[in-house]
Amino acid sequence: MRGRPLRDYLLGLWSVAALVYLFIPIAIVAAFSFNDPAGRFNLEWAGFTLDHWKDPFGVEGLGTAFRNSITIAAISTTLAVLLGTFMALALVRYRFTGRSAADFFVFLPLATPEVVLGAALLGLFITMGLATGFTTIVIAHTMFNVAYVVVTIKARLQGMDTHLEEAAADLGANEWATFRKVTLPLIAPGVAAAALLAFALSIDDFVITNFTAGQTSTFPLFIYGAARQGVPPQVNVLATLLLVVVLGLMALNLVLQRRRAQADATATAPVRAVAHPGVAQ
Amino acid sequence: MSRESFESALERLLAERRHNRRRFVGRAGSAAFATSALGAFLSACGGAEGEGGGEESEERAATVNHPKEEFDEVVFSNWPLYIDKKVLRDFRAETGARVKYIEDINDNQEFFGKVRQPLQQDRGIGRDLVALTDWMAGRWIRLDYVEPLDKKNIPNERNLTDNLRNVSFDRGRRFSLPWQSGMTAIGYDSEQTGGDVTSIEQFFDPKYKGKVTMLADAREAASMVLFMQGKRPDEATIDDILAAIEFIDEKNRDGHIRRFTGNDYTGDLQRGNIAMAQAYSGDVIQLQADKASLKFSIPEEGAILWSDNMMIPQKPRTAYGAEVFMNFVYDPEVAAKIAAYVNYVPPVKGTQEILAKQDAKLAEDPLLFPTAEDVARLSGYPNLSVEEEQQMNEAFEKVAGA
Amino acid sequence: MGLRRRRLLTPYLLLVPGLAWLVVFFLVPALTQLYVSLQDGNFEIGYTFQWNWATYSEAIADYDEQFLRSIRYAGTATLLAFLISFPLAYFIAFKAGRWKNLMLLLIILPFFTSYLMRTVAWQTILSDNAFVTERLRDVGLVAEDGRLLATTNAVVAGITYNFLPFMALPLYVALEKIDRRLIEAATDLYASRWQAFRRVTLPLALPGIFAGTLLTFIPAVGDYINAQLLGTSRQYMIGNVIQSKFLVVTDYPAAAALSFLLMGALLICVFAYARVLGARNLEEAVV
Repeated sequence: MRGRPLRDYLLGLWSVAALVYLFIPIAIVAAFSFNDPAGRFNLEWAGFTLDHWKDPFGVEGLGTAFRNSITIAAISTTLAVLLGTFMALALVRYRFTGRSAADFFVFLPLATPEVVLGAALLGLFITMGLATGFTTIVIAHTMFNVAYVVVTIKARLQGMDTHLEEAAADLGANEWATFRKVTLPLIAPGVAAAALLAFALSIDDFVITNFTAGQTSTFPLFIYGAARQGVPPQVNVLATLLLVVVLGLMALNLVLQRRRAQADATATAPVRAVAHPGVAQ
Repeated sequence: MSRESFESALERLLAERRHNRRRFVGRAGSAAFATSALGAFLSACGGAEGEGGGEESEERAATVNHPKEEFDEVVFSNWPLYIDKKVLRDFRAETGARVKYIEDINDNQEFFGKVRQPLQQDRGIGRDLVALTDWMAGRWIRLDYVEPLDKKNIPNERNLTDNLRNVSFDRGRRFSLPWQSGMTAIGYDSEQTGGDVTSIEQFFDPKYKGKVTMLADAREAASMVLFMQGKRPDEATIDDILAAIEFIDEKNRDGHIRRFTGNDYTGDLQRGNIAMAQAYSGDVIQLQADKASLKFSIPEEGAILWSDNMMIPQKPRTAYGAEVFMNFVYDPEVAAKIAAYVNYVPPVKGTQEILAKQDAKLAEDPLLFPTAEDVARLSGYPNLSVEEEQQMNEAFEKVAGA
Repeated sequence: MGLRRRRLLTPYLLLVPGLAWLVVFFLVPALTQLYVSLQDGNFEIGYTFQWNWATYSEAIADYDEQFLRSIRYAGTATLLAFLISFPLAYFIAFKAGRWKNLMLLLIILPFFTSYLMRTVAWQTILSDNAFVTERLRDVGLVAEDGRLLATTNAVVAGITYNFLPFMALPLYVALEKIDRRLIEAATDLYASRWQAFRRVTLPLALPGIFAGTLLTFIPAVGDYINAQLLGTSRQYMIGNVIQSKFLVVTDYPAAAALSFLLMGALLICVFAYARVLGARNLEEAVV
């Protein structure tokens, strides 16, 4: 009993250190958003300025590229999570012919180099007569995101016991109701993690997007193009801004959650006794 | 980019008047399959292709006629940060047409990889103008992927500087016009080198071991060594080039060359990680703003003068519009505006005088306006056949992994 | 009767939409590339299908060094990522309480900045004259005329960094669903905390370890940006070769062949790995 605080303390320290490590380059990116270089290259510290923050969309094309990236990420994540969650459920919860083949197949996009995926997709779109642009980027992103979503949610589902779902079935719930009221809440953390991962992957993708983008611009494409002649500090501003906004939303969510939990604690006490399973309804 | 169904593409293929026999066989072959899905894949991969007809392009160039027509938009694919956007607005004010300016060319090969399939299938790529570097421009011309220029629509073409008029890949400039030129030579930190760098020999001086970078481009890297060995790159044979690559391999193995870079030598130069880099003139001018000790010199052995060339890809929406735009940027006033912004070598005569009135210092900069002496030491890239090019790239790839 | 048929159909219904998407947008293009890999020629004279298996044997012979190097780098990076992430994931799953979601978000947040910018930031941090490098020289970990950038260590460090979330998140997901009562039961039965960890927690976390390792290792092997920005030509991985073959040398058959060889090698690794873990996975069925 006495050793526990120390072990926990060390674990906590390690975790904080790991997170700090993750954020070191981010700190540099954020810091350089305040840099004031004389030329076009934002590589060495020259002086502090808030100019870029006052006008983050001042660079032509950057705003459009940024907006495109966010929209594409939102759409492809939603599609991938829908398609992928159902696939994961099928692959873990059911036994059927072709299961191991499907299992194996879902891994393949992860094992293929992006250069090849991108070029192959481009060839396909041309053959289909589909003009490359926004739609084709979404299609491509959904494709690789589905694979990531399936693998992530499978990890959550495997070994998760089915007692609760069986109990629901015993109580007369059909498959859809069981899914909605029991399974879904149980796998929610896994789905949320998968969604977050998919969104980040989509926002950050360069290689495949480069091939399938046509004339549409996305944030990574813009940066790659700009890197050739100097990435403007406004890019750093937007990157930092995105981080701050997401973090802010999260903090808001936490606060709301805690308020709700407090409200629930007082409201549900009498109700719980009545709804306890095993009591005849 | 227009949506073309496979059927309409098929119709155009069969209705085409290009009758170069080998090509027609290739096309007909793929056309016959086209109705099946497999055939679709085959043509996507590029079935058998004939060579670009040399005689045919001559014919087309001689009889080219792009009549005046209404156009409301010109689609131009170019490299990033290669234009002052005000120029586009000026164009709109003057002609009423807008320029859809797409900065999606980051690398010649990469861009080619993106558009080669429609090109091979004889379709348009949704652009009226592209700007590609000499050797890639030569490839497109050879493969007949571009429209000849109707010089009647480009009177300002007479302003083209003399040394760029007759280039080996486009004699008489019938398919292309330079957008901007630049030089590849040595960019260096005069603090680290303790003085000026005037010779390529200094680049390979053992005291700079691990402190120099070369470009990860076979042509650029090999050319630098060729200059040092006393050969002009545009006259070099494939054997000369392979020997040069062997030399680079040696220097790389013993760690003299820190690494092979794309445009990211700028970071190493500015941060002081290296003393010298094989660099582009325009980049160094920009870097000087933040680090005054950085310099660029044309070594006594010579340097490469390259150009990015405007061309009209096949099946544009408006060849006439593209030519009007080319004419517009060959006006010395407009060229001066662009040069002031991008800091590369303008191909338009008369630019220097106009620029002198706006920015005297820039007008004197030999990196924008090389003197006659400099020009004598400049050379274009090596001229290679397709097989030789592949040989060169493969040999270089084993050395530099790129 | 109707219910039974529905039960039988359900997995297929769940599977089909996603599967169809992958078949059309992954399998078909991939097969096309297989076709390309067996072609011969170049884009000017044209490609002809010739069952040219020689491309494959040449590819193996010429690039075995890069293949092995990629597996080494990716393997090291995966191991490092695991060592860093496991305590982190464990802490979040078991000890973090209400900070759980925040910490998870913090793991994935760096991914919202561009890959390129993150790696360029490392160039700044590890540059020859930077603070970190100078201090390491003072301490003697870096030679006087040595450097941190443009070395193998920089490349492996870059890969580890960029794929860390891929390891941490699946680990967390698996650890989080472990029923605490099982661990309590173990300690009630006189197991030490270490024994409980080794014989209850670890085996139950295996699916997460499996997923995390694969999600990290596989893309890491095909990575090329870290080698390009943080390394030299002596660190080039198979991803760089494929990239170059495709875009610079424009030798499409070779590029396609190398890609399939890479996929093949990865699949062998995956199967071997699954075998090793597979035996232990059976224990879960009991729980």
